[in-house]
Amino acid sequence: MTNAGRLRAFIAVGLLPTLIIYAVFVLVPIVWSAYYGFFDWKGIGASKFIGFDNYAEALGDPIFWKAFKNNLIIVAASIFGQLPIALVLSLILRKSTFFQRFVRSAVFMPMVVASVVIGMIWGYIYHPQIGILNFILDGVGLGSWIRDWLGDPGINMYAVSVPVIWANVGPYLVLFIAAIQNISSEIEDAAKLDGAVKSKWLYKIVVPMIWDTIKVAIVLCISGSLKAFDLIYIMTGGGPAQSTELLATYMYNNTFEVFRYGYGSAVSTLIILISMILVLGSQLLMRRK
Amino acid sequence: MKKKPVALTALTLAAATMLAACGDNASNNNGGASSGAASAPAASGSASAPASGEKIKLSIWHNFSGDDLRAQAVRAQIDKFKAAHPEIELDAQAIPPDGYRQRLKTVAAAGEMPDVFFTQSGTSIQEFYDGGLIQPITPLLDKYPEWKNNFMEGALDRLSFDGQVYATPLSGSATSLFFYNKSLFDKYQVKVPTTWDELMTAVKMFNDNKITPISLGNKAAWLAQSSILSSLADRVTGTDWFLKAASQDGASFTDPEFVQALQLFKDLSEAKAFQTGANSLDNTQMEQYFVEGKAAMMIDGSWALTNMAATGTPEQLDQVEVTVLPSVPGGKGDPNSISGGSGGGMALSKTVTGAKLDAALELIYTVGGPEGMQAIVNSNSVVNYKVEPDQAVVTPLFYKAFTLFKSVKLTPVYDAYLTSAAADAINNGLQDLLLSGKPETVAKKLQDTQAQALGK
Repeated sequence: MTNAGRLRAFIAVGLLPTLIIYAVFVLVPIVWSAYYGFFDWKGIGASKFIGFDNYAEALGDPIFWKAFKNNLIIVAASIFGQLPIALVLSLILRKSTFFQRFVRSAVFMPMVVASVVIGMIWGYIYHPQIGILNFILDGVGLGSWIRDWLGDPGINMYAVSVPVIWANVGPYLVLFIAAIQNISSEIEDAAKLDGAVKSKWLYKIVVPMIWDTIKVAIVLCISGSLKAFDLIYIMTGGGPAQSTELLATYMYNNTFEVFRYGYGSAVSTLIILISMILVLGSQLLMRRK
Repeated sequence: MKKKPVALTALTLAAATMLAACGDNASNNNGGASSGAASAPAASGSASAPASGEKIKLSIWHNFSGDDLRAQAVRAQIDKFKAAHPEIELDAQAIPPDGYRQRLKTVAAAGEMPDVFFTQSGTSIQEFYDGGLIQPITPLLDKYPEWKNNFMEGALDRLSFDGQVYATPLSGSATSLFFYNKSLFDKYQVKVPTTWDELMTAVKMFNDNKITPISLGNKAAWLAQSSILSSLADRVTGTDWFLKAASQDGASFTDPEFVQALQLFKDLSEAKAFQTGANSLDNTQMEQYFVEGKAAMMIDGSWALTNMAATGTPEQLDQVEVTVLPSVPGGKGDPNSISGGSGGGMALSKTVTGAKLDAALELIYTVGGPEGMQAIVNSNSVVNYKVEPDQAVVTPLFYKAFTLFKSVKLTPVYDAYLTSAAADAINNGLQDLLLSGKPETVAKKLQDTQAQALGK
């Protein structure tokens, strides 16, 4: 065997354990779940093969599409909320003074707090009677702005987006800081000599130089947002009257509250398909740029 | 009453085993012997085998894992059984209520059911029955007729199939007790409502005085359905109509009487009867709000009795009175009724036979028999069993509520009869009515879901 061939064999052997684990715990369940989607099954007793009925029912259910729309709101909030905030913060915090390290940790902190805790905290912030948000609004003379933030279907999707943004800025901040620190200081100096002010430097130098990182971040944002579940499940449970239902909470409620395992499996398969379409679509879009 | 037959059978058995290895353990062995003799005529030979040394292994699963009084009472009964039966190796698993049902389902799918297990009444136990996983305990009930006859009317219905009883309820529930704050009614000179019109007047009067009329926390969505709608709709439609509609046999949820019931609920909401944000508060917060005297009324289940006793001060609890939901003029239902039913009980796995079966039945009797019922009612928990709570032990509010409970008729709770999918639909529908939904739309969605889930 040649040297290169031996190396390739070594790589294959090295990858094998991961591949096997990935296949057993990710690929196989996905296929199984798609298969269960063809059955009417309560989780106990006999299951009945019903073909594509579950899939058709999901696609024909207005609540499914409402959940999809709500998911898109979360996707938009993530891309247009988390990423710009993370980018700006990373510019401010890229050096390593004590203060900057402190703020960086503070921004990253929600990532290491259990999402149940975050959900509870924000649940209390938005609380209609004892919530601190309404309390502050009242205190500064904006009493007319007081709302039932999580209960009013007109605004609650936006209200729940805020904690989602707040809790997930951290990793993107780390990603961007790493990318910006890779821009060599000569380029920065040259830009300064050419008289680039801060905003110009951001658009002409930083963004193009870390564009690949931003692309990765967008993909992470999309897939992460489609998985969104924990915070919203704690804060609203998808309610009231399913106004904050997401694809994941819709799937969960149907599977574990209503005990329609087959239908839940079909919905989770659809979530995978939708995620793939969105991620591929976003990649195509960005390639054209 | 239990002592006599036990002593008798113990005597015969002890004689048969030539008084071997009795000594000062006699009292303990008595209990064991009685279990052996429970079906002695059927399994005469094998029944005496365990007494001679070989341990019977028995497993029990339940969800009384908490620190509340009821859970402690049930666990104490299990421990009592353990102490009385040294010849039985009891493996008792207390599993937290959240996820209990899922875990039970998982072992059921794997065919590794525990010998005795707690299951909810209605749909839950039906699944085990349909799956052929449980066996009846009717022989045990026939053996203790006094026990059997003390259950309230209909208490065993949701735990029986084909004339056979599969479990006896360890607890009962009343889901729509009408609580009111006596001091607030006195202070603003409002009449405690007995009809729907009086209720609407009370709502208006409390609103005029800037007091929340009715406390409601419907974030979890089942509350308005279980506590308010179950009773309110029964007042309007009558029980027969609901049972027909639930089985989709001769009635439909789009019938005008049901739409009218939903409209009455919506009217309450539009009259601002509930506090702001009712859809984002949970059950505990709603109870707290009421017990603190911020709301004049609350429609809640018997579980509120324990919760309020835990959070309220004695002075606050003193102001709380309890009665039935106001009647609806022209309605078909019996106004002297409360929606409620039987809770779950201990079911018996089909695989249990022989000496193990006798031991398992004895365990079920120790937990759910007269002694167990007394212990549970003394822990401030409603039971569907004719028993007098010990006034020195229970809270005054519980005593009032349980006395009321024993004097009224029970009507079905919606989600105990609807399919899970339909219960989900009406839960969401009621949340929607609190916002901007229309009764007709909600009724139609419920009708469609129930019809589809039943395949009709």
